Amino acid sequence: MQRRTWLKRVVHAVGAFTGAVVVFPAFVTALSPVLRRPESSRWRVLGGVANFPLDQVTPTTVKVGDQSAADPLDSGLGDQLVYVWRQAERQFVVFSRSCTDLGCPLNFDPGSEMFLCPCHGGIFAKDGTVKAGPPSRPMDRYANRLRDGFLEIDLHSVPPMS
Amino acid sequence: MKIVETARKWVIDRMGLGRLAESLLYRRVAKSPWYQGDGTALLLLVGVQVVTGAFMTLIYSTSPDRAFQSVEYITRIQPMGWFIRGLHYWSAGITMVMLAVHLFRQIMLAGYKSPREGTWFVGLGLMVGLVVMSFTGYVLRWDERAVYAIRVALNMFYRVPWIGEELVLLVQGGPSLSSHTLSRFYSVHVVFTPMLLVALVGYHLYLVVLYGTTSMLERQGPVHSAEHQKELYGEQKESEQLGEPFFPKTMADTGIMALAVFLVPLAFTLVIGPRELGTQANLTSVAFPAEEWWYAWYSGLIALFPGWLAPIFFVAFPAGILLLLVLLPLLDRGPYRGYKHRPVFATAALLAFASILFLSDLRARSPWTAWPSNDPPPVPHGIKLTAEVEKGRQLFVKYGCNSCHAVAGFGRKVGPDLAGHDRSLSADEIQGFILRPPAHSSMPSYEGRMSKEDLERVTSFVHVTQALFHAK
Repeated sequence: MQRRTWLKRVVHAVGAFTGAVVVFPAFVTALSPVLRRPESSRWRVLGGVANFPLDQVTPTTVKVGDQSAADPLDSGLGDQLVYVWRQAERQFVVFSRSCTDLGCPLNFDPGSEMFLCPCHGGIFAKDGTVKAGPPSRPMDRYANRLRDGFLEIDLHSVPPMS
Repeated sequence: MKIVETARKWVIDRMGLGRLAESLLYRRVAKSPWYQGDGTALLLLVGVQVVTGAFMTLIYSTSPDRAFQSVEYITRIQPMGWFIRGLHYWSAGITMVMLAVHLFRQIMLAGYKSPREGTWFVGLGLMVGLVVMSFTGYVLRWDERAVYAIRVALNMFYRVPWIGEELVLLVQGGPSLSSHTLSRFYSVHVVFTPMLLVALVGYHLYLVVLYGTTSMLERQGPVHSAEHQKELYGEQKESEQLGEPFFPKTMADTGIMALAVFLVPLAFTLVIGPRELGTQANLTSVAFPAEEWWYAWYSGLIALFPGWLAPIFFVAFPAGILLLLVLLPLLDRGPYRGYKHRPVFATAALLAFASILFLSDLRARSPWTAWPSNDPPPVPHGIKLTAEVEKGRQLFVKYGCNSCHAVAGFGRKVGPDLAGHDRSLSADEIQGFILRPPAHSSMPSYEGRMSKEDLERVTSFVHVTQALFHAK
């Protein structure tokens, strides 16, 4: 092998090695939120069932961030609004407030009993079905359960940006 | 002063300025009309934002508990802070306008034709970078608009096939909006994208110096190859009539235009001031967010297209536009440049520009948005409604009729204007519609939750307004 060819290879190898040493950890760091998959469910208490009148849609807040030992920075916005529709005595539907078009905050209009989106004309009926506008799927519903007279929802049962 | 002259020569030699000045300033170029200053204006505006942005980071806090307060601090307490932030904001907006102007001018003139394809590709990279900047920037204000802007972007990423959810986690920095999210947007806005932009601006300008800009002779007749173009260009720049010295002639012309453009954000800053802050970021209060005005056209487009298109639109549209622009030098292969010999491309560019204006205006009116309001429809001056009809007017609010329906132009325009609607409908027909609206309409059914009396009152109110406004 010629000296010149060999030297070229040295230059390339030095570059590749240094690059890899820096770039690989950088990518692992940047991608960590994807690599560290969140736990499959995260149940939160919404409140006692008495807070939710029958057949009504009630806005209520739920605490989102928990500053757990695993992620002490997971806080910031804290509370999030959700809508609880008590269909029957022991039957609840908990809607995410995010419009399924682009995530704008839906506003429940008690007069018309519809969820109205401030952005692009999305309108949903009381049961979360699309009535008008660009949304292509019904409102997201949290998985819910009753525990000792308290309504609980699973934060991870809707898409991560809901 | 011999010593001054000697010192000057020493500095020029030792700092290597001679060669630099020769290749950048003291060269001849083909005559450049003043409107080529749109590029110079972009350079100036980006520079203004680098400076104003850098100085805002002296105060800005990336903690979600403090970010909003730190922006308020810059605006209200920091000496000259309002000016710095105002200039940053308005320069950003005008940058988006000039970016569109610059892009459309290049399509009109075929600025991407050989040998300038590289200049075009790097320019498209700059466009992507500036779009990222113009979005991540207003997220940092950390007001209500900011968090919903993030959500909108995340919902778009969510539509990307196969890796949608992963992209959301990557951009959001975790399974929910948190301090990770703000840090990520800050770092993309202040470190990553600016570094990329500075490199690309340098490269773009290098290619502009190397290959020049679309010249008069190139626009007049067919240009058959890169070699032919270089021949034409070389001939022009050396010619007395068709060429000019870059410094000071070209720089003066384009610099004056850039200054004129810069006066716009300066005037807005002084007259209007920095962008008004919304409520501090939260996910609990009733909010009516909107995008910044330079994205209004896109928002209007989103509201117009049918729901079934949504799953593909948010990915396919931006990707399609970018792909189309990247492929433009391959699609437009004719020998002609300038708009006179390329009616198809020139018309397409003009139509796209007009659509942006049309959609922006439509978005400003947003006739598709329904929203509750406590204001009952007004009654014409001097008219006194009977007690029952007046009750109907109040019920019009109570049942949220006015969330969608206007009366004589007052109110939301989602449903038909009831005063202007088909007046031949009988009371029975109106009531039938209220109780059992047809399946295809977005009207909710009031069956079972509106008493017979209320139904009568609302109906008579509608009939009375129709008569009133018809009479006028």
